[in-house]
Amino acid sequence: MGTLVVENIVAGYGSGPNILRGLSLTIEAGKTYCIIGPNGAGKSTLVKVIAGLLKPREGRIMYKGEPINGLRADQVLQRGICYVPSDRSLFPDMTVKENLRMGGYILRNSSLVEKRIEQIFIQFPILKEKRSQMAKTLSGGQQQLTSIARAMVLKPELIMLDEPSLGLAPKVVQQIFGTIAILRDQGLTILLVEQNARKGLENADQGVVLDLGMNSFERPAVEVLHDPRIQELYLGKRSRPLQAEAAQ
Amino acid sequence: MIQIIQVLILGLALGGVYALMSSGMTLIFGVMRIVNLAHAAFIIMAAYISFWLFKVWRVDPIVSMAVTMPVMFLVGVLYYRVLFASRADNPRFTDITVLVTFASALVIEGVLSYLFTGIYRSTSPVYATRPFLIGPFFVPQSQVYATLISIALIVSLWLFLQYTRVGNAIRATMQNRNSAQVVGVNVALVSMLSFGIGLAMAGAAGSLLSFIFTFFPSKHVAWIGMLMSLVVLGGMGSLMGAMLSSFLLAVIASYVSFYWGPTWAPITFYLALFLILLFRPQGLLGKKMDG
Ligand SMILES: Nc1ncnc2c1ncn2[C@@H]1O[C@H](COP(=O)(O)OP(=O)(O)O)[C@@H](O)[C@H]1O
Ligand SMILES: [Mg+2]
Repeated sequence: MGTLVVENIVAGYGSGPNILRGLSLTIEAGKTYCIIGPNGAGKSTLVKVIAGLLKPREGRIMYKGEPINGLRADQVLQRGICYVPSDRSLFPDMTVKENLRMGGYILRNSSLVEKRIEQIFIQFPILKEKRSQMAKTLSGGQQQLTSIARAMVLKPELIMLDEPSLGLAPKVVQQIFGTIAILRDQGLTILLVEQNARKGLENADQGVVLDLGMNSFERPAVEVLHDPRIQELYLGKRSRPLQAEAAQ
Repeated sequence: MIQIIQVLILGLALGGVYALMSSGMTLIFGVMRIVNLAHAAFIIMAAYISFWLFKVWRVDPIVSMAVTMPVMFLVGVLYYRVLFASRADNPRFTDITVLVTFASALVIEGVLSYLFTGIYRSTSPVYATRPFLIGPFFVPQSQVYATLISIALIVSLWLFLQYTRVGNAIRATMQNRNSAQVVGVNVALVSMLSFGIGLAMAGAAGSLLSFIFTFFPSKHVAWIGMLMSLVVLGGMGSLMGAMLSSFLLAVIASYVSFYWGPTWAPITFYLALFLILLFRPQGLLGKKMDG
């Protein structure tokens, strides 16, 4: 079925060093994967490579048995793989609705795009309410929701979310994970990159640990969540700076 | 009182042409972050094309826009393709563009001097010297035609950006290049097209000013300063801003010229540039830019 296979990917920026150094990973259709790893491990780089925004130097990416590495970003979208970047970057001087329309840019069929947007408005009434507002006037959570909805206009089979909870208040983080749960229920394959490792793993089937751009370690999410080494490295570690902050 | 209104009319009659001259430059900056210091040189290049068509075949300069616009569009596409396309990912891209376009302006000036010498030129269709008389007021026909055509072109450009698929892709690229790529916009193609469209506007401006001003190859030096101030005052990348600042400064310059003499008019633009950089560097309708 719609399996995504990443094989020995080597990638980096410009003439810089290799960030991903022979990474392999298999993403099975219909499951939710949470990728965790320290800052700078190459998590964002990996999703950019899959999205066709960065050409890998070596290796292959197969989707449904066909190679997709080397395709342009619009061609990857055409195959049903969407990407929601971590800076939830919208088009600031376009309205929410115009942003959603841009989500359907590659469809070239405006009546289809309008129909999809209507469906999204039913699913997320807040976006309908805000449809004529400029994106830059939205709150962080609303921007993230718009950013996810913009990807949903293409009805992707696989959606990659890069740190969707970054910089959001706890209550809003809760809402975003609620949205992700809706996508899961719809049967989408989800590749979730999360700083908030605990929340991410709690909402995933599989956990993937990426370190130094090298081979990742993949286990069912519950196992990763309870693995003492992971707790030490990624779950325990997070609370320390917070405690330090509280002590100040 | 009549004089005050007369001066206002003359200022407004030039505003549209200034707006057309700066529209392409602001578009090119907005989409690609290219500071096109050769913009005025390209405008003069187009003015020479109109001049040549007029001299050899008596082609009306307004009609010759049908030549200058597509020719300058192609020049823009090629120019972008050859000099900028491969550098678009360079972190110091904007700095590079300043140097490259400045050098280009000098090259264009040199070639035009070689081809057409330094003699002052202009085209002289019949309407170039006739005024419209409205009650106690007069306004040169040439300026009325030039400004009306300019406004029509800018409005068309605006409608194109607002309501077509390619136009939306251009606006999206202006607002957030990364996001545009994420939704599948081919930003390299959009950049090339936008440069072409920007120079097509410069082409139209060249044809129109061929009959309202005299020009010579090094005239671009005076105009680029004026264009910079219009673009910066409007907010770099803002089409409506460039339009607003063009009319505003054209009218102010018109009064300055009337009360203090025409030699002082250019000061208006430099003073405006100076003040805007001091007090509102993002311009009238521009957005604050980080990085
Ligand atoms: N656009 C870029 N140009 C050059 N280097 C980059 C770029 N983006 C990321 N990097 C570098 O790649 C490495 C991995 O970054 P990234 O994939 O964003 O890590 P993560 O998402 O896991 O925190 C970092 O060392 C970062 O500095
Ligand atoms: Mg990242």
